[in-house]
Amino acid sequence: MTDAQIAAIGAYTPRLRIVAEEFEDAWGSFDAAGVEQKAVPEADEDALTMGAEAAERALDVAGYSGADVCHLAFATTSPPMAEEDLTARLANVLGVPDSVTTRTMTGSTRAGTQALDAALDAGPWGDKIGLVIVSDCPKGAPDSDVEHAAGAGSAALVVDGDGPGTVLDRTSHVDTYPGTRFRTGGDDRTTGLGVTQYDREAFTATLGGAVDALDDSLEAVDAAAVQSPDGKLPYRATAALGVDAETIAAAETVSSLGDTGAASVFIGAATAFIEGAERLLLAAYGSGAGANAMLLEGTVPVESALDGETELSYAEYLRRRGEITSDEPEGGGAYVSVPSWRRTIDQRHRLVAGRCSACGALNFPPDGACQQCTERSVTFEPVELPGTGTVEAVTTIAQGGAPPEFVEQQSKSGPFVSAVVALDGPEGTETVSVASQVLNGDRKVDIGTAVDATVRRIYSQEGVIRYGFKMQVSETRR
Amino acid sequence: MRDAYIIGAGQTPFGAMPDESYRSLFTSAVAAAVSSVPNGIDDDEIDEAVVGSLGVGGRQLGLSGPAATEHAGLHGIPSSRIENACAASGYAVRQAVQAVKSGMADVAIGGGVESMTDMSSDVTKYWLGVSGETEWERLTGTTFSGVYAQMASAYMDRYDATTEHLSMVAVKNHANGAKNPKAHLGFECSLEDAVNAPVVADPLNLYHCCPTSDGGAAVLVASEDVVDQYTDDPIRVAGVGAASERVGLFQRDTYTAIPSSESAAKSAYSQAGIDPDDLDFAEVHDCFAIAELLAYEDLGFCDRGNAPSMLADGKTELDGEIPVNASGGLKSKGHPIGATGAGQVTEAFKQLSGKAGERQVEDATLGLTHNVGGSGGGAVVHVLEREVAR
Repeated sequence: MTDAQIAAIGAYTPRLRIVAEEFEDAWGSFDAAGVEQKAVPEADEDALTMGAEAAERALDVAGYSGADVCHLAFATTSPPMAEEDLTARLANVLGVPDSVTTRTMTGSTRAGTQALDAALDAGPWGDKIGLVIVSDCPKGAPDSDVEHAAGAGSAALVVDGDGPGTVLDRTSHVDTYPGTRFRTGGDDRTTGLGVTQYDREAFTATLGGAVDALDDSLEAVDAAAVQSPDGKLPYRATAALGVDAETIAAAETVSSLGDTGAASVFIGAATAFIEGAERLLLAAYGSGAGANAMLLEGTVPVESALDGETELSYAEYLRRRGEITSDEPEGGGAYVSVPSWRRTIDQRHRLVAGRCSACGALNFPPDGACQQCTERSVTFEPVELPGTGTVEAVTTIAQGGAPPEFVEQQSKSGPFVSAVVALDGPEGTETVSVASQVLNGDRKVDIGTAVDATVRRIYSQEGVIRYGFKMQVSETRR
Repeated sequence: MRDAYIIGAGQTPFGAMPDESYRSLFTSAVAAAVSSVPNGIDDDEIDEAVVGSLGVGGRQLGLSGPAATEHAGLHGIPSSRIENACAASGYAVRQAVQAVKSGMADVAIGGGVESMTDMSSDVTKYWLGVSGETEWERLTGTTFSGVYAQMASAYMDRYDATTEHLSMVAVKNHANGAKNPKAHLGFECSLEDAVNAPVVADPLNLYHCCPTSDGGAAVLVASEDVVDQYTDDPIRVAGVGAASERVGLFQRDTYTAIPSSESAAKSAYSQAGIDPDDLDFAEVHDCFAIAELLAYEDLGFCDRGNAPSMLADGKTELDGEIPVNASGGLKSKGHPIGATGAGQVTEAFKQLSGKAGERQVEDATLGLTHNVGGSGGGAVVHVLEREVAR
């Protein structure tokens, strides 16, 4: 029996950044050692949308599509819904067949390596693949070291039978250390007791235990992607891990992205592979405590979007975090029931248009009489649109002007662009128009601006998050 | 079918009237319409009522027609509410005309009412978006102004139009509204004010948007068989046209025209046997400045792309070739959603009766009213004619 291999990695971070000095100005100190700046999710991003971004990149660079996935894992410490199987939504967004086996891992920052461990146990799957999506955006109280460090990012790994990345060895280790990093039920803020020496011991003892159990030698390792709740703790584990500081620095992202939680070691691995590393240690730590160590070898292709683009002030940061913003006001928003949302989920997640059986015109949404020939008794052949398009009509909804269900979004991230976009058909010059927000990254959106689709949070109603497509200015795509 | 005539029409002032209810506003409008009938009319001569309302704020969403008419003393007659967003009472007047023309009523009242200013800003935000396409368009965070702003962006991209042209609509309509004692915002504004106002939804600023108002309006329609009892100066409903269009802008064939307006106007003209050139004045649906420019073209006052120059040349001013919105329009007179269409017909009735005071259009014989629902999902056009020699 052949072992499952790593075929590719996709990595993603939001484009927003905040630098440590902003925290120093606001608080008089910055409590995340070794973090210079960090990534911040936009108001309409969360672990699911970031995970989808990484997954699409991983599939793309590996030369697969969602249809090839038969094992789908989602790992995060910050699931957008505390209870609900989010792999179903991810599968729909990515076009994964409904027969897929799914795994959800959460509860500690080693959820990602646990998910990869399980996928490697399960695979390979012949010509089908496993997709392990690890995405995280931790959050703490505004004045806590957890929050000061908290970054955001995601990675996705394609697992198949003949990829270039070989997992030489993998181990797991647990040792009881409660209270180092935790979140109680119903709370969205992670905290810790802050017992410095105890926390360090938990970290080094469990990681050391996992690494000690590896059969292979770590001497020839090019880089070690080590769990990084801040920029200092990983280096305190050099002795326990048996690697030097330089080797850890070769896969280090915490200084520029912050604490990316469960995704930390995988984003680190992605950057090391980009830099040419061929032999890699993954050392993930999860509070409680436990650790996973994995030794990877090979030239794993990576597609990533890890660059920052917009720097936030601390006030803008607090808005994004929802610390100083309003929720949907009394009186409610336009009501779209969850079942009716679900009926159009393929359109909202994957831009599935329909071709009219009577006249052949593309319809979006494919529902009711044909928009071209007005024939009522038609069927629509599903046509997945490529997602590229051109702005046909556009406005910016000024601050304070959003309808109730978008007050929270506007409160967090300000004026937004709303447009009519002509989406390209599968071929030729055929288009079909849709209404969409346009993510513009501070660029002006005009008639004729080229855009392409991504999936974001549209809004949340009755506690249920609604995801759907938004367009982004193509020029801003990273 | 027999002819229908407007024998009376009246409205409340439009504005913010926290002491009035939707029912008291409707009652005042009915009273104003009844007292405007030249030879008088008794309430029991009214056979049917149609009340236009979007129902902003919720209030009496079910049976709001009977609830309004019972308060107005129109007890026992068939009464129903018609909802077609901002075109609700344009359609209510059309329904009254249909009732009369069909022979089911000799006299019918078509009116409308809306209370919009007594709600919290949160509740107002909710209600102002309910006429946009809900499942797709509204879920991009657009508002009513946002969709018109999208049309403006496409229009300004395609034709020679600037934000200054949009602001000139406000200047003209405020100049007219300043002469209308019933206007909500009855003050003049300078082009500078109207250019430099805060942006609402780019490219539309505050002066490119109408206010939200309270108000009621009612129109009495009588058949040719009974019209002579009520007036010696009959005003004939020469043509009525109405049409619908896709509710979401993104599903339309054009963003630089409102096809329902165009087709409603065509049917009204053909019924009346007139050309747009024959009109002496028009009350058009200027909920946003771009809407007035589109109306010039949709209603055939000028060719596509020429509305800005038509406006800039003064052709639609009170003393121009075809005065548009002598009342002040939605921009200055106000926009109590369900009352707007009947309010336009009330203005036309006043103009054709020579009772429009300071804003009277000279020798007004043939006038048009144009009422649009939402961003154009529905439109209704009336052509009204003063019968000079009968």
